[in-house]
Amino acid sequence: MDAALDGYRVLEIGTGVAAAYATKLLADLGADVVKIEPPGRGDPLRARGPFPGGAPHPEKSGLFLYLNTNKRGITLDLERTAAHAVLERLVADADLLLHDVHPTAMASHGLDWERLSRINPQLVMTSIAPFGLSGPHAHWKATDLVSWSAGGLSTLNGDPSRPDLPPLKAFGDQSGFQAGLNAAIPSLAALFARLATGHGEHVEISVQEALAAILELTFEFWPYCGLVASRLGAKPIQPLCFVECRDGWIFVCCVEEHQWRAFVDLMGNPEWATMEIFADRLARGANFDALHLFLSEYCATRSVAELYEAAQARRIPFAPVSTMGDLLASEHLKARGFFATVEHPCAGTVTMPGRPYLLSATPWRLRRPAPLLGQHTAEVLAPLGFDVDALAAERLV
Amino acid sequence: MSMPRRAPLAGIRVADFTWVWAGPHCTLQLAHLGAEVIRVETATRLCVTRMLPPFARFQPGPNRSGYFNQYNQGKKSITLDLKRPEALEVARRLCAASDIVAENFAAGVMDRMGLGYTVLRELRPDLIMIALSGYGATGPDAHKVSYGPAQVPLSGFSSVTGYRGHPPMHIGISYGDPTGGLHGAVAVLAALLHRARTGAGQYIDVSQWETTMAVLPEALLAQTLNGAPPERDGNRVPYMAPHGIFRAAGDDDRWVALAIEDDAQWARFARLLGDPELARDARFATLAARKAHEDILERMVAAWIGGRSPEEAVAALQAAGLPAFVAARNRDLAEDPHLQARGYFVTLEHPEVGALLHCGVPWRMSASDSRVRAPAPCLGQHTEEVLRDVCGYRPDEIARLQAAGVLA
Repeated sequence: MDAALDGYRVLEIGTGVAAAYATKLLADLGADVVKIEPPGRGDPLRARGPFPGGAPHPEKSGLFLYLNTNKRGITLDLERTAAHAVLERLVADADLLLHDVHPTAMASHGLDWERLSRINPQLVMTSIAPFGLSGPHAHWKATDLVSWSAGGLSTLNGDPSRPDLPPLKAFGDQSGFQAGLNAAIPSLAALFARLATGHGEHVEISVQEALAAILELTFEFWPYCGLVASRLGAKPIQPLCFVECRDGWIFVCCVEEHQWRAFVDLMGNPEWATMEIFADRLARGANFDALHLFLSEYCATRSVAELYEAAQARRIPFAPVSTMGDLLASEHLKARGFFATVEHPCAGTVTMPGRPYLLSATPWRLRRPAPLLGQHTAEVLAPLGFDVDALAAERLV
Repeated sequence: MSMPRRAPLAGIRVADFTWVWAGPHCTLQLAHLGAEVIRVETATRLCVTRMLPPFARFQPGPNRSGYFNQYNQGKKSITLDLKRPEALEVARRLCAASDIVAENFAAGVMDRMGLGYTVLRELRPDLIMIALSGYGATGPDAHKVSYGPAQVPLSGFSSVTGYRGHPPMHIGISYGDPTGGLHGAVAVLAALLHRARTGAGQYIDVSQWETTMAVLPEALLAQTLNGAPPERDGNRVPYMAPHGIFRAAGDDDRWVALAIEDDAQWARFARLLGDPELARDARFATLAARKAHEDILERMVAAWIGGRSPEEAVAALQAAGLPAFVAARNRDLAEDPHLQARGYFVTLEHPEVGALLHCGVPWRMSASDSRVRAPAPCLGQHTEEVLRDVCGYRPDEIARLQAAGVLA
């Protein structure tokens, strides 16, 4: 067995990043994931991009190509009840069915836990929903931006000197990625529990709760101190800030006093650094505007790489504000083999993020590129006794 | 007859040498699932989060930090002065009695303490060991120092996050920490399934930097496919419009997030604006048209939301089937009737801070017992119990170690 999840059979019904990322994690660890897409347009992420040359094409969406490595793909129109018999036959052989169909549409898609668990008592079914499956907001709609706000994250990010600017989201579909991670964990745990109990179960993830779970120290300011956290609150400790160098941006990071002293030494012990207003990290926080001016003046003459290496050589945890180009050129990431190159029949050679972890006994492996729409419909359904041509004639696949 | 619920990781023990947030976030998931997670702490060098605010009722103290108490729920704590050889022997016994060893020191620290994987594997052949470091255990930058806030710029997030035409931005939290920790939990669970079927353990190397890039594919693929990264563009995205966070009525800095996913939603929003003709207006009828006129579109949305309280705006938008929510603050979450109805929050009696509100488990399992089992431990609360019951020390040996200052 050279993959951790070798032999596990997973069905994915994904409408966004959450389900697709959860099952990508499992597929990349060796599970046999069959992705079920609606015939015709397929997964909505096929329309999202980024696309080569900016030209939309259902087989060339960068996000789709990344999220669906190592999966097989079939089409099945779950909005029609006639397709539910096919789903139920697939479920009979599956270890895990993972989906992010909205709770208000689950029944019409054949996602009835009572029924499916009778067909396969060992089945684990995982449902990802923006606000969970129960409670007064269960039927509410959300997207990445709305979930990021509902979970309390967007309100934490902004420019304290610009209260007119709105709370700011993080780049990309981060609600989806966090929900996907939070779905993979209890799904694997349910499979592990099944080894002891012999039966499956229904797992439910609320995207809002998954995001409220990562508010760092900010959530507890309310119950612990009665304080509301805001994007407009200035950082108490400085410098922890972005400064522009000659050729890009660097993140200046001095948490401990010894790191600040080492940085002052690196700057050649300028006279301004001896001023009382910069005496300790709290004073530097209170006088941040002045501090930032001096730091900007210093950094403007340095390159990012030179300052990063010099700081790190003194154990000061600076980081470059990496551009995508910097990341792809990183010698460190190359030496660790982080990026993966995929040969895709339609999109060609595509470089993308590869393994997120190294497992010594069960290495991460790329076995196949993302599936073309319906590529494995016949391969998956014909051996189960379905007449795929007849299903196609009825436009069920 | 209903069977008693069983925790998925019942009987699994974790020797947890992690600190700050990434590692503790990984082992928090395992504690939710019922593993016995034992944090190995050192009183002479306290976990950073024990010393950070918020402190309950503003009184500092190592057991009073909301940051620590949130991310260490359900764990045990022992104290060992790992500079002492006798303490290292305790640590080795603990590891030998554990299924999983977790650590997030800089690369090489565990090896230098004699607690590296090659040593521990001799003691416990089926051990699963996970290292969560900033840069990873190998590679030319493995020796570099990494702090949570620096992972956001390092991973590339800052260069693509920000207001249009403004400098790079942070994203509000040390995002590499939970992202690394959650990926680590996925890897550990997969390794447990593998061990259950083969009997073999393994070593897992997680770099926070890499796990954070694993959730940044849209930006990285823009670069690899087209040679250019996306520009910082505030809250806008190429595939929906309008898509933003808008100020609600009142002067207390309350905001509402709204995303219009498709033309049908736009038509419903136009009716909500009281101007169904807008739905047929060629400037807004399609995504491409709405993107081309996004400035004017956002002014219309801002005017509508700006005329309403945040709760009123969200209720009207959701009633029309449109994705919207207030930009929730910590207080809004704590008072959210939906989260309360779902029983998301946990208030367990903590010996020093009492019964305060904490976030709970973001998932529910219909058959397994998955929950927050106990409040976060006080420093060294379980030292004696763990040495006696897990490491096999006699009471007189424990007393001797205690007197010699080893258990500090």
